[in-house]
Amino acid sequence: MNDVSELGIAEAAELVRGGKLSPLTLTAALLERIDRLDKRFHAFIRVTPEPALAAAREAERDIGAGNWRGPLHGIPFALKDIIDWAGLPTTAHSKLLIDNIASSDAHVSARLKAAGGIMLGKLATHEFAIGGPSFDLPWPPAINPWGGNHFPGGSSSGSGVALACGMVPAALGTDTGGSVRNPASMCSIVGMKPTYGRVSRRGVLPLAYSLDHVGPMTRTVRDNALLLQVIAGHDRADPGSAEVDIEDFSAELDGGVRGLSIGLVRHFYTEDMTADPEQSAALDRAAELLGELGAEVREIRLAPLEDYATCTRIIIRCEAFAIHRRWLAERADDYGELARQRILDGAAVSAADYIDALRLRARLTRQTLQAFAGIDVALTASNMDPACRIDDAEACARLYPRQARQPFNVTGQPALAMPAGFNRDGLPLSLQLIGHPFQEARVYRVAAAYERATDWSRRRPPDLAIRAG
Amino acid sequence: MDQETSSDDLNRIATAAGLPRLSDRQLAQLGKSLASARELAGKLPKDLHWSEELALTFRLPAAGEAP
Repeated sequence: MNDVSELGIAEAAELVRGGKLSPLTLTAALLERIDRLDKRFHAFIRVTPEPALAAAREAERDIGAGNWRGPLHGIPFALKDIIDWAGLPTTAHSKLLIDNIASSDAHVSARLKAAGGIMLGKLATHEFAIGGPSFDLPWPPAINPWGGNHFPGGSSSGSGVALACGMVPAALGTDTGGSVRNPASMCSIVGMKPTYGRVSRRGVLPLAYSLDHVGPMTRTVRDNALLLQVIAGHDRADPGSAEVDIEDFSAELDGGVRGLSIGLVRHFYTEDMTADPEQSAALDRAAELLGELGAEVREIRLAPLEDYATCTRIIIRCEAFAIHRRWLAERADDYGELARQRILDGAAVSAADYIDALRLRARLTRQTLQAFAGIDVALTASNMDPACRIDDAEACARLYPRQARQPFNVTGQPALAMPAGFNRDGLPLSLQLIGHPFQEARVYRVAAAYERATDWSRRRPPDLAIRAG
Repeated sequence: MDQETSSDDLNRIATAAGLPRLSDRQLAQLGKSLASARELAGKLPKDLHWSEELALTFRLPAAGEAP
């Protein structure tokens, strides 16, 4: 095995279970790769080699003794640094929390630990999952390995970059207004925002508690389903957690799309916003391809994107300000400029407007779910544009709202972003698939069929020499 | 800086929001926030009515349900 950095969860798990790949070898190789590449891409805030190697040795012993726990056993992963891992700082990429040592594991961390996963470290984020990309924080922002010096999306930026660089086969991100799906789109990986309530947020620093989700990020659809299987489940300590059965998220992966009905939300990227022509063409081509594979594809209409954006922005501002108000009062100077601006925005919104935004949310959710009647999955844009240069603040600010992810934070539906090609400059294009609440397996089914019919997920950033391991 | 809000007003609004020690630069940021909030409020539908269900309504646990 010359190139373990290329392996996904499913492939590595099969080798590990069969005794053909040592968790220690895999972990050591990825740590070496992080050491070599991360000076350039800044995916990690903190790497934890010694505990990782110790956990890998333990996994190796357990698996060798016949105690294989499942597909994550002996498989390395990393966490966005707003997710607690006992004994490590949870910094939120901020000076404010530079010494904030977590006293216990987040629910998702405990799940990954119990599954035998190997934690490699904490990943870069936009400050408090809201302020970025920023250059005035204690750590530099993560850089996209696609393109010369490009924005990787955010706020789960380190998660997207670490996966695209082959530093980890699995990472967790969080998504309040699109923060799993944005880096997935810009880094050409797979990111799922599960149904609201599907994955516990206990032990995760909140941004806006009524819109926050934790989601799996991987390089393939199958790996994403495997990772969600580990972290999904009811948690009484999270008031938003749903007490629902956990389906087998991989059950439909090989089912194909024949007989499925797919709703194309084309007005999001052709009327409400005009997507970049290459991005728009990639989406239309994806719809055609799914039709060729046997799905019935028809256009559906949802509320205008701006309605969802207004609703999301008001709720995020108010809930984030409520969380940060005391820190802002005492330590306003310790925030980066962008996070401070975005959190201060909540000080200016009236309570009546917040309540109206909640009413609007209920209305939009009802209308959206009605529009989904008769379809299995919807297809639309994630980003309207490919990535811009990260040092072009105006371009980053211009591109940030040009997206169609917020509607599904509003409605809480599962939504997955994945690769849909590359533009003429070699930058990733993307698509988004949305399902009915608690029907992630159906979303994965369509995503897997599209993935099999294309080669986008197999492509790697050209100058990384990823196969050199 | 929000052209419609004076420096004194910004200080008063910041204090009312629990932020009495913002610097001039940070008050200018709050000025931008006010302008942006006005713009957002203007985009809310005008036909939202109090009778529409809230997303987060206070609810006591039912009998036998954990509090």
